[in-house]
Amino acid sequence: MLRNQCVALLSLLALAWNSQVSSQTVVEEIPRTAEGTPRLDGIWQALSEANWDIRPHAAGHALLPELGTFTAIHPGLGIVEGGALPYQEWAAARQQENFANRLELDPEGKCFMPGVPRATYMPFPFQILQTPDLVMIAYQYANAVRTIHMNDPGPAPNNSWMGWSVGRWEGDTLVVNVTDMSEQTWFDRAGNFHSEALRVVERYTVLSPNHLLYEATIEDPDVFTRPWSISLPLYRRVEENIELMEFKCVEFVEEKIYGHLRKQSDE
Amino acid sequence: MRTIILVLAAQIALLIAAPLGAHHSFLAEFDPDQPIQLRGTLTKIELINPHSWFHIDVVGSNGEVESWAIEAGTPNTLFRKGINKNTLPVGIEIIVDGYRAKNGTNTASGRDITFPDGRQLYLEGSAPPAPE
Amino acid sequence: MSKGKLHGYCVYFIIAMFGAIGTVWSQAPPSFDANYEPPRTPSGQPDLQGVWSNAILTPFERPEEFGDQAFLTEEQANAYQEQRRQQTFRGDRTVDVETDVSHAYNDFWWDWGTELARTRRTSLIIDPPDGRLPALTPQAQRRREARIARRAEHPADGPEDRLLRERCIIWDGNNDSGGGPPMMPSAYNNNFQIVQTEDYVLLLKEMVHETRVVPLDGRPHLHDSVRQWLGSSRGRWEGDTLVIETKNFTDKTYYQGASEHMQLTERFTRVADDVLLYEFTVNDPQAFMRPWTAQIPTVKLDGMIYEFACHETNRGMVGLLSGARAEEAAAREAAGN
Repeated sequence: MLRNQCVALLSLLALAWNSQVSSQTVVEEIPRTAEGTPRLDGIWQALSEANWDIRPHAAGHALLPELGTFTAIHPGLGIVEGGALPYQEWAAARQQENFANRLELDPEGKCFMPGVPRATYMPFPFQILQTPDLVMIAYQYANAVRTIHMNDPGPAPNNSWMGWSVGRWEGDTLVVNVTDMSEQTWFDRAGNFHSEALRVVERYTVLSPNHLLYEATIEDPDVFTRPWSISLPLYRRVEENIELMEFKCVEFVEEKIYGHLRKQSDE
Repeated sequence: MRTIILVLAAQIALLIAAPLGAHHSFLAEFDPDQPIQLRGTLTKIELINPHSWFHIDVVGSNGEVESWAIEAGTPNTLFRKGINKNTLPVGIEIIVDGYRAKNGTNTASGRDITFPDGRQLYLEGSAPPAPE
Repeated sequence: MSKGKLHGYCVYFIIAMFGAIGTVWSQAPPSFDANYEPPRTPSGQPDLQGVWSNAILTPFERPEEFGDQAFLTEEQANAYQEQRRQQTFRGDRTVDVETDVSHAYNDFWWDWGTELARTRRTSLIIDPPDGRLPALTPQAQRRREARIARRAEHPADGPEDRLLRERCIIWDGNNDSGGGPPMMPSAYNNNFQIVQTEDYVLLLKEMVHETRVVPLDGRPHLHDSVRQWLGSSRGRWEGDTLVIETKNFTDKTYYQGASEHMQLTERFTRVADDVLLYEFTVNDPQAFMRPWTAQIPTVKLDGMIYEFACHETNRGMVGLLSGARAEEAAAREAAGN
């Protein structure tokens, strides 16, 4: 009888052990489309400090002393693989100039569409709508929007602020080639910049039902000495009834941009 | 006869109701008292919205070259007619009929843009010839 | 055919007709097939996806000469279209100079459309029956007069004095129609795109890359204290018609004179492979003496929406404001002499 109890106890332990091991290896089920690809639909947002500076950086002063901590720079681990950006010599100097003059020069401050990849990690949510032929990304910031063509759309007729995007699935990763972008966008508020020759390859991979991994490879032979990569997680906004509220910011920046042309009241 | 009159009346009424293209911002920007005709070499076309810009180099009567910026229509119209950043006729000679900007700069509206022989620069579906 | 079979066909026909009632078919214009079955998405919804053009020759309001005539005859419609297609505005200097300047550039750049509405209506407004906007309320009339007076006194002190499209905030059609939604045509790029998933419909109007992502899950509108340029939109399917209700507007738009209390109901029904019937009702007792409805049969465009980045390269605003300052300086100089 003791032997039976022993066997029973051992079996129980074995069962418990097995189930513990299996629950550790079970992958959370991710939503999939009828075609079998992961479903990226939803409202997502980055939680990183990349928009301040995509490189590793400490905290820093605000744009103007009277702002105190409003617009003081948040410290960040950086999203650039390897930490440093491989600028050509002239470009490294230009980035420093950009930083020194960022109050005037940063296109974000003028409500300009942020381009790719910056739109992904700005502190604003965006929404992905996925169909077999098109993946649309609507961004809260400046009501910007991108069309990712899943079938060959031909060459871009022109440069655009949000780029010309062509996507395909590689296994469970959405790979997007982005080209023909305006040279006027920045990578962040620190003045990290690029030229018209910029090409970006994005990769969206589902990590869990509520997390995506966003990676991008940046290529710009006119500014950098080699391609470089970034990587950060994206988090699903899980609040009930979450939606993209409006951030049409033109009215917030008209004085900044056109104030010098305003009629003076003494006339 | 009555049918003809009715049809004509209908046509006229609809024509009157159709928008005449009142573009108030152009009246604010350009001066009706300063019509201008410019002839020059097309050096650059900026395909931007809401208005594309045609840049031309004009040789003045004193022999000096002046750069002029001509405001034209939305480039999206060009894309839909098969014209894009790779097919711009830079280097050709064009004539611009328009109105000078009120702010005194070398800027004008591109009311009509033609080749020296009078043909319109852009016609339905056709692209202009390559520069010589 | 046997009597029984004929009876069977009759019954089938009657059932098909009644089956279509409850959607917009009860008011279906004569030019569309009442039995049309739209393609469907995998989740069974009518497929409204694609790029649609609302460029159209039909005027917004019925010209007074037409009185009660709501529809053109086929002969009248063809004659008018032919005449408009031949009408060009190139080298025509018989108009006054101000009109010439304000026409900006020649016909190449404009897209007023080449067709009247396939319904052959004499106006886009279908209700009230006279095809014209109902009267404004006294307070809406006062608002409009104040706006016109202010603009006359301060035409260009700063950007806020200019039209919403000159500021690149909302492209408010060709006249000073006060902003949308609804999605109305203007002089060019008269296109919008629809993308559907099971829970959302995305509406992308080309100018100015105006994007609405409309939930279909029955959630309430945003809290009443939250007002947005494009309002707060909520969608649902009624049979084969997509219905979108929008409210929570600001007082910065004024569609045809509407107030911030405007309630807009938009209806989208695919009535042919190449036609999406777009109908909208404006309900705003603070601004209009009665609700009113307009209808545009939008036509499928074989093409795509192109980015219309407006504010980023808005040189026109610089030209406009600096032009006003230059004129004032010249006037001061002249006065000083």
